[in-house]
Amino acid sequence: MRRRVVVTGAGVISPLADSPAGLHAALCAGRSAIKPIELFATEGIGCRQAGEIRPFEPRDYLGERNLRPIDRTSRLLLIAAQGALAASGWTPELRARCEVGLALGTTFCSVRTIAEFDRRGLQLGPAHASPLDFANSVINAAAGQTAIWHNLRGVNSTISAGEASGIQAMAYAADLIRGGRAEALLAGGVEELCFESFLGYYRAGRLCGSPAGGEEFAIPFDARRNGFALAEGAALLMLEDEEAAAARGVAVAAEVLGYSSVFAASLEEAEAIAAVARAVRLALEDAGVGPEEIDALSASASGSVAVDRWEALGVAAAFGSRAAELPVTAVKSMLGEAMGASGALQAVALLGTLDDGALPGIRGLESFEEDFPLSGAVAETRHVSVRRALLTAVGADGHCCALVLGEPAMAGGPA
Amino acid sequence: MTGLGLVTPIGAGREAVWEGLLAGRSGFAPVESFDTRAFNVHLGAEVRDFRAEPFVRRLDPGALGRASQLAIAAARMALADAGLALSALVPERAGVVMGTTSGEPREVERFDDRFLAGELDRVGAEFISLYPCHMIAAHVARELGFAGPNAMFPTACAAGNYAIAHAVDVLRAGRADLMLAGGADAFSRITYTGFARLGAIAPERCQPFDRNRKGMIPGEGAAVLVLEPLAAAVARGARIYAELAGYGLSCDAHHMTAAHPEGDGAARAMQRALADAGASPEEVSYISAHGTGTPTNDRLETLAVKRVFGEAASRTPMSSIKSMIGHTMGAASAIEAAVCALAVAEDRIPPTMNLEEPEDDLDYVPNTARNTQVRLAMNNAYAFGGNNASVILRKCEV
Amino acid sequence: MSITADDIRTRIKQIIANVAGLNAGRIGDDSTLRDDLKLDSLSLLEIGVDVDLAFKLELPDESYKEIDSLPAMVELVQRRLSELSAQPQAVQG
Repeated sequence: MRRRVVVTGAGVISPLADSPAGLHAALCAGRSAIKPIELFATEGIGCRQAGEIRPFEPRDYLGERNLRPIDRTSRLLLIAAQGALAASGWTPELRARCEVGLALGTTFCSVRTIAEFDRRGLQLGPAHASPLDFANSVINAAAGQTAIWHNLRGVNSTISAGEASGIQAMAYAADLIRGGRAEALLAGGVEELCFESFLGYYRAGRLCGSPAGGEEFAIPFDARRNGFALAEGAALLMLEDEEAAAARGVAVAAEVLGYSSVFAASLEEAEAIAAVARAVRLALEDAGVGPEEIDALSASASGSVAVDRWEALGVAAAFGSRAAELPVTAVKSMLGEAMGASGALQAVALLGTLDDGALPGIRGLESFEEDFPLSGAVAETRHVSVRRALLTAVGADGHCCALVLGEPAMAGGPA
Repeated sequence: MTGLGLVTPIGAGREAVWEGLLAGRSGFAPVESFDTRAFNVHLGAEVRDFRAEPFVRRLDPGALGRASQLAIAAARMALADAGLALSALVPERAGVVMGTTSGEPREVERFDDRFLAGELDRVGAEFISLYPCHMIAAHVARELGFAGPNAMFPTACAAGNYAIAHAVDVLRAGRADLMLAGGADAFSRITYTGFARLGAIAPERCQPFDRNRKGMIPGEGAAVLVLEPLAAAVARGARIYAELAGYGLSCDAHHMTAAHPEGDGAARAMQRALADAGASPEEVSYISAHGTGTPTNDRLETLAVKRVFGEAASRTPMSSIKSMIGHTMGAASAIEAAVCALAVAEDRIPPTMNLEEPEDDLDYVPNTARNTQVRLAMNNAYAFGGNNASVILRKCEV
Repeated sequence: MSITADDIRTRIKQIIANVAGLNAGRIGDDSTLRDDLKLDSLSLLEIGVDVDLAFKLELPDESYKEIDSLPAMVELVQRRLSELSAQPQAVQG
């Protein structure tokens, strides 16, 4: 008998809000996180906007403990973890007695710290490289720092699968719970905004308006789209064994019903679309539901010219006739593309929708390609009764993950 | 485990590497891939004379970072070793999970060189297509056409074990019929500078468990293991090296670069792995240690083994191949898992080289390989951030 | 002109404060690094690197390993600075 996996709380820090409720409200109000960058200089780069968390005062959340050994990426994660632990009732005393794990999705962790460590060593000599920075230059540093800060002694894993990292991390955590290897894990993702990755994405032609520095259309699915707006954030959901959560008497926000992880072995459009379709079908199968039982889709579409299209056509292929009616949201229309954090941000946003039925619109969406199949993708926030939602995460490098989230079970669940 | 692919500082390919390890071959030499004059240490375990071309056939080797090249080479070797032709596989049911510490650090180094030279205009599209660590597993899958589950576990020096553990879970859940699991890391000045700055690099010799040990020696390499369900392996008449009997993961939650002073996390990982395998410590025939050669790691690792094994500890041979190939970072525990598989398959265990005065009374298999029955082998790995992972392999009686 | 012990102490306090995330004013003149300031091995290493850099001491790691208090660090810096200034200078002109 497969164990059931539930969500008992979440924590988030993003350019729009630093709480799940705040995030849901901001998204439903159609607020955009994308603004001119202040974190670093953008001279010579034809794109000047991003989803930057500003102001960012870690001490407001983390108190007086020494933050010098902890870089920006880890600070973001510490805050999200704090929120999720508080929301799920995992007090310090409880954590001292029982192991809580962490499954973290990230693309870079902190490429900025790695690069700064390298540059300082080059300029001042290896004897004067920074030991503290080196400790933060491993890609599992944020997960390690968070485990130390919050005393998380359970399974601690870092997973990288590009834009799909956050969903992959949630799937990984759910696997451990289903398999009886763990009872509680924080799962989600983190990514910081920094010059190194920003310049990299710009030169790779992935940012909206690049390389020509033209008008920026980071609007998911829109026919005018020309790339994504890079962003940062951290989001974690507390995943628990359903019986253990019930025994703890904690409220349940959602259930993880099923998930999948596949790869597009080539980036030819037909193959990529087929991979998305396969990811969706496998996740539905794993959840034991059919397309008609999915009430909404949270897509990972970000304004990427090709990837948004793969996602739309792939979902449509899997949903058949249901595709045209399926209500669709794409929160990157407001949050931007936060890479390793994005899937978890999608999931945290969806918790709000599961709770009050408000599905955020896709901000700025106006024009469509002729064969765009998802008529349920609209600009306005609307009310949709959502019992089960599908999240998809499609990466430009071929990673395709899907996850089905459902409302808390009615029978046998806590009040 | 039905296939092994290895690229290491002492050679490439299962046979060359295994025979080299049993013979106590050393992979240490002065670092060549960058100038170490400004350092007070100069030794490394680099992979020499590696050519990607014979292995990277579908992708353009010039469009890949070094770790990806090493990974693809190991993957192709593993499939050949397993007697598997790509045409025999269902692409959607074949996945790739790899571990790494740094991904492709040379790409950041290139970025930084340009940054410091005031030449950022030379940073092109290649930074994003080469650098992110997920590209390693992506490149392997793209080279082979694998469309199943695909992810990287950048859990530093324990990464290989994390990848193997996840691959086992994916196969058990029926989400794939074949998984390539392993690890890869490329030699880099960033990594070298970091460990040198921590004072962790030995100036002359890597002597795990020796009283006079002075540190680790950074290395590079890749290992890929072919994992498939037992029934499928038997049905196709595959040679089975070993069975994945169990694994255990834990987190110290103590310090970023130093292990828990009582070996707490390491002990929990071992205990979990044993419980998962349904085995008692006495049944373990061989331990492949993390054994980096640093004063702290080796002492705490010995302590943790004694905690878990009790009286059986001094009777359980434990050796560190890092005494020969150095610390290959994310590849290390994958290479060591392959070694455990070979130990189980052939009843031979590699030595801990350079061991003159053991610091403690465990059987560290000093300096000479040994023929001994190996029913159960335990592979331990410990990483920065307190990530601990133990994987147990069992002789397959079929 | 030579730097005074007070100047040295003030500068070291700034370095320690930066690494320890404290206000320099909260570091007593006799503070011990591990016990009073609760600094771990990584932070101590960082302080050693930053002190070496700030005063251009060019000392090996071993010199810093034994240092566990602010007075000891000040003394180390003073000793090394006078060692360095006693070394023969390049001939000018």
